[in-house]
Amino acid sequence: MAIAAIPHDAHGEVDQLYVETRELRLQGFLLFLISDCVLFSSFIFAYLYLRNTGQGWPPPGIARLDVAFAAWNSVVLFGSGATMHYALENWKHGNFMKYMWMLIATIILGAMFLGGQGYEYHHLIFDEKVTWAGSGIFGASFFTLTGMHGFHVFMGVCYLTVLLLQTAAGTYTYQKYFGITAGTLYWHFVDVIWVVLFSIFYLL
Amino acid sequence: MSVAAAHSGGIADHIHPEPQGFVRRYVFSIDHKIIGIQYLITGFVFMMLAGLLAETIRTQLLNASGGFVSPDTYNEVYSVHGSAMVWLVIIPIATGGFGNLVFPLMIGARDVAFPWLNMLSFWIFPVSGLMLFSSFLMGAPAAGWTEYPPVSLQGAPGTTMWCAAIFLVGVSSTLTGINFLVTILKMRAPGMTFTRMPLFVWGQFATAPLLMIATTALAAALAALFMERVFGVPFYDPTKGGSPVLWQHMFWFYSHPAVYIMILPLFGIISEVLPTFSRKPIFGYKLIAFSSMAIALLGFMVWAHHMFTSGLAPFLQVLFMVMTFTIAVPTGVKIFSWIATLWGGKIHYSTAMLFALGFLALFTFGGITGVFLAAVPTDLDLHGTYFVVGHFHYVLVGGSLMGVFAGMYYWFAKMSGRLLNETLGKVHFWLFFVGFNMTFLPMHWLGFMGMPRWVATYDPQFQFWNRFESVGSYIMTLGILCFFINVIYSIRAGKKAGPNPWNARTLEWQIPSPPNYYNFKHIPTVYGLPYDFSQPLPYTGLEDELTDSPPAQLTGAHH
Amino acid sequence: MVEQKAQATSLGRGFWIATAVMAVAAVAGAIYWVYAPIESWVPSIILTAHQVDVFFRFLAAVGTAIYVFVVGYIVYFTIVFGAKKTDPPDAIGVQIHDNHKLEFWWTFFPTLLVVIIAIVSYLIWAEIILKPASGVVVEAIGHQFNFTFRYPQINGEVTDEIHLPVNVPVTLNLTSSDVIHSFWVPAMRLKNDTIPGMVTAIKFTPYRTGRYPIICAQFCGTLHSTMNKQVLVVEDEASFNAWYHGMQLKNAHVSNALPSTSGTIALTGGDAAAGQALFSQKCSACHALGPFDQKIVGPGLRGVLHDPKHPTLVDGDPATPENAAKILQQGFTGPMGTMPNATTNGLSDKDIANVVAYLNSLK
Ligand code: HEA
Ligand code: HEA
Ligand code: HEC
Ligand code: CUA
Ligand SMILES: [Cu+2]
Repeated sequence: MAIAAIPHDAHGEVDQLYVETRELRLQGFLLFLISDCVLFSSFIFAYLYLRNTGQGWPPPGIARLDVAFAAWNSVVLFGSGATMHYALENWKHGNFMKYMWMLIATIILGAMFLGGQGYEYHHLIFDEKVTWAGSGIFGASFFTLTGMHGFHVFMGVCYLTVLLLQTAAGTYTYQKYFGITAGTLYWHFVDVIWVVLFSIFYLL
Repeated sequence: MSVAAAHSGGIADHIHPEPQGFVRRYVFSIDHKIIGIQYLITGFVFMMLAGLLAETIRTQLLNASGGFVSPDTYNEVYSVHGSAMVWLVIIPIATGGFGNLVFPLMIGARDVAFPWLNMLSFWIFPVSGLMLFSSFLMGAPAAGWTEYPPVSLQGAPGTTMWCAAIFLVGVSSTLTGINFLVTILKMRAPGMTFTRMPLFVWGQFATAPLLMIATTALAAALAALFMERVFGVPFYDPTKGGSPVLWQHMFWFYSHPAVYIMILPLFGIISEVLPTFSRKPIFGYKLIAFSSMAIALLGFMVWAHHMFTSGLAPFLQVLFMVMTFTIAVPTGVKIFSWIATLWGGKIHYSTAMLFALGFLALFTFGGITGVFLAAVPTDLDLHGTYFVVGHFHYVLVGGSLMGVFAGMYYWFAKMSGRLLNETLGKVHFWLFFVGFNMTFLPMHWLGFMGMPRWVATYDPQFQFWNRFESVGSYIMTLGILCFFINVIYSIRAGKKAGPNPWNARTLEWQIPSPPNYYNFKHIPTVYGLPYDFSQPLPYTGLEDELTDSPPAQLTGAHH
Repeated sequence: MVEQKAQATSLGRGFWIATAVMAVAAVAGAIYWVYAPIESWVPSIILTAHQVDVFFRFLAAVGTAIYVFVVGYIVYFTIVFGAKKTDPPDAIGVQIHDNHKLEFWWTFFPTLLVVIIAIVSYLIWAEIILKPASGVVVEAIGHQFNFTFRYPQINGEVTDEIHLPVNVPVTLNLTSSDVIHSFWVPAMRLKNDTIPGMVTAIKFTPYRTGRYPIICAQFCGTLHSTMNKQVLVVEDEASFNAWYHGMQLKNAHVSNALPSTSGTIALTGGDAAAGQALFSQKCSACHALGPFDQKIVGPGLRGVLHDPKHPTLVDGDPATPENAAKILQQGFTGPMGTMPNATTNGLSDKDIANVVAYLNSLK
């Protein structure tokens, strides 16, 4: 049976053990995000390095990327960042239903972003004949980086779906909701990475 | 007691029930001490294999015309030797091994922050080690531990296996780094401020961010090489628009910090062993702690000193050269402080101390030859020669490996409850010390006179010194053999150690050997640095550690 | 606990005697390096090699001096401050923690030394690296597993040896046809990698005649060990000229005169049959004769110059023989990768004309 409001803890007090482990997990999670960020940075460095050693960009013969479409898709992703932010805020303020709707909106927007990216890939691969392995350093860096990012979004959507089911089942309480904090942090992280990727691939 | 009491109910005082059954206790254990020992055992097994490869190298080089193995096999042998010694021996032993074993005890914690993650980190390590060695079955990687493309793109299928194996062991390193960092930041006992942390903990604290950040950059480089080899995605192949120099940047952005991953924890061990056996406070505690952090930070800014001949822009050559020089300063400060620690001491010539002293002498030599390589004018001559091989074996074998042995003779008592045999230990030390210098000292002039690295055959004019080196390496092997015999013998029949055989003052020595699975019955409170031999111990809350009484939480009504 | 009170206040006479001994040893070591017969170990044949040697002596002298003190104090302290049998078991050392003055000085001196080393190495670095290109130009190309050398005015390739006139500045352009190698002449105290897809240059002036080994100093595959058979020959001007003209004469009939990497190529009179032979030698590894989409490394070339579906070449220019010749001459990097230029493919202008004639015949 799904519940309709945020459960409170039995004693109304969170025990010391939970507070301390939450702190540990939060810090561990932040450090994980930092090293994930280094992973992206390394590939971004690789891309910029290759781009600078090559002769001109985008290389001749490669269709220009569709900036307008990607911009709309970005708006979708940033929108999902906003809804995720409000989901967490609503949880903190005890608005269970609003939290649920915001979370669902985030999941849908995330999935829409993935759909948009799928469309873009399809167009590039089948109409423009730009592929991962067959289009030189352009295909290599574009598909690797956006693919990595897309994979992160995909993992995020999966995680948020699990979160949705968990909240519906009453896993989190008014005071114990580390899973939601972590999900929010992760989602914002993925957003920020996209800002960088969008700038260097579509605007630069 | 009041400080500790304030924490009751939190993780600091939380004791999990002791796991039952062999598998939960010793195989899939989540106890940091067991995991530390697992790392050490696995690391030493890989050391035997990688050492066997080293002796294969030396046997091949007995004759100028080679002949012991084919050139292809020779290339595979030193590539796997280098990779294994770095990723499967020194890094796991120094961080996962000694780190896990000792530093949670030193900061008065019951375990690391994420014990399950710790278990995962460990189990990735033997798996990736087996993957690396199994690459011999399909044609091992043969382009050196640095696997520069394009030649590594032509390499045998085992090269792909190499990518996967090193990637995995890197994941393990990254997780360990995160785990250790959180543990040190969040789980120190009450009163254990940063300026009261033992220097071994500082060593791990400086290493953890390197593990976390640098290793991830390596993961990216390896993933790209993997994709290029398997799917033909062009990153490094110049005929497809890629750049082989890109790999060098990404690889060395990791691998230079990695050499500090391989030395900072060992600096930490030296900083514990020297005061204990000199019966003296460490000299210049703050500067030693601070310089570790400085080295870790500077370590990120010097990577291109491995690439002076790789078409680097001239101004970058100068920049990286000068940045590299600066590292001599914090390192020098450490060396001088350690020497000053000896002054006025009451020095006990234990085996651990001998290894620590050997470390000082040999590491300094390697550091100074490092400065020759850091200077572009001399590096343009010496790069790619045996001079470089001499340099890094002085810092890695004379430094890191000596540090590992110092740590083993020191902490073996803590992990097993028995002492390693001192006589055999001294035989080990002297064979190793003499053999080491015979093996690696002549490499410097061989390199200068024109002997390049990575060669299965060489100019006959160099044969005398190569034979001399090979003989030295056999002597060194005898020394290490003594060590392994010592360990096996002492585990069964060594002298009982008692809780504190060295009269040392850090926390791990104030509890039984081996410690109980929960480490401390009460979390102690710390009042000062552990190095004041004239003062009473700066801890409270340890009163019944050496009695038979079980900890209160296990008898009491804890949930 | 029994402290060593006696030494707490002063360093003692033994310390100063030991220091004096170390100082003598350090100075002796340093002097050894100043006069060490480095050139009898490896000759030095260019001006900067001599400077590198001077710098090496300096580093070795400083390094030896530092090292003598480090090891000297370790040994001295270890002996003098050893615990004695007569000491009570709980005897401890002097309980000092630090000494700010001392710590300042041993941070300051290495810093100063580092600054000096940095300045000296910068000056010598500038001598080696910041030379204007001038004099004889030679091209060295690394292959698995040898180097080949080329001179602009000599037709064809001159394998195995570089001949250089003494006392004339040389610019050596380095590149590779496959993997990374490193061109090292120990007698020049100088090396540089030969990197595929990149040209780097080293500049030097030999001042001593003789034959000196060239060694590959970067792992490059199975037979890296054997890539040390080539020789650098420095000779007086007369012998050099004799050799040079001899090579010119010898290679005069060789058809593949060196390619020019700029300027237009006369395409008239291209021989399609000769072009076809060259194509199967030099191009078919990357190009099939099938349709554009049939890709090996580069596109399939059937009808490149006549295919209505592909009115332009990969660089966007119209598919004319002239533009194809340009791609062959200058190379091109596009989405599929890099089409090597004429230097790398080893095509003379005449060859290009022939191959283009052949391409033009593909309908
Ligand atoms: C920490 C790292 C480390 C360590 C400890 C060592 C240890 C040794 N190394 Fe190695 N070495 C490297 C890291 C290390 N090395 C690296 C990174 C490279 C570069 C590779 C490359 O270029 O790609 C290299 C390369 C290298 C070369 C150059 C190869 C070449 O360029 O052609 C040589 C040559 O002599 C060498 C020798 C040795 C020797 C003799 C030892 C000895 O100290 C080994 C002593 C240890 C033992 C002998 C083990 C003892 C074992 C037993 C006693 C048990 C017997 C075994 C069984 C019963 C199974 N090493
Ligand atoms: C534990 C590992 C370790 C450590 C600690 C170091 C430490 C240093 N290394 Fe080394 N290095 C390696 C492992 C290590 N290295 C390896 C494995 C390679 C080869 C990789 C490969 O190609 O396979 C390598 C290669 C290497 C190169 C590239 C050479 C080449 O390929 O051309 C260079 C160049 O700058 C270099 C420099 C240095 C310097 C300046 C230090 C400094 O940190 C040293 C600082 C210490 C001192 C200087 C001594 C103490 C100081 C004093 C007593 C003060 C007074 C001294 C002075 C003022 C000079 N190292
Ligand atoms: C190392 C591989 C390689 C070799 C050898 C090579 N090419 Fe190419 N070539 C390429 C690549 C890759 C391209 C496509 C460049 C791009 O657009 O990315 C190309 C493009 C071309 C084109 C333009 C094709 C078009 O449809 O626009 C021509 C013409 C051509 N090559 C001719 C030759 C000839 C003639 C030779 C031999 C003398 C040769 N190539 C050797 C890789 C090679
Ligand atoms: Cu060419 Cu090594
Ligand atoms: Cu380095």
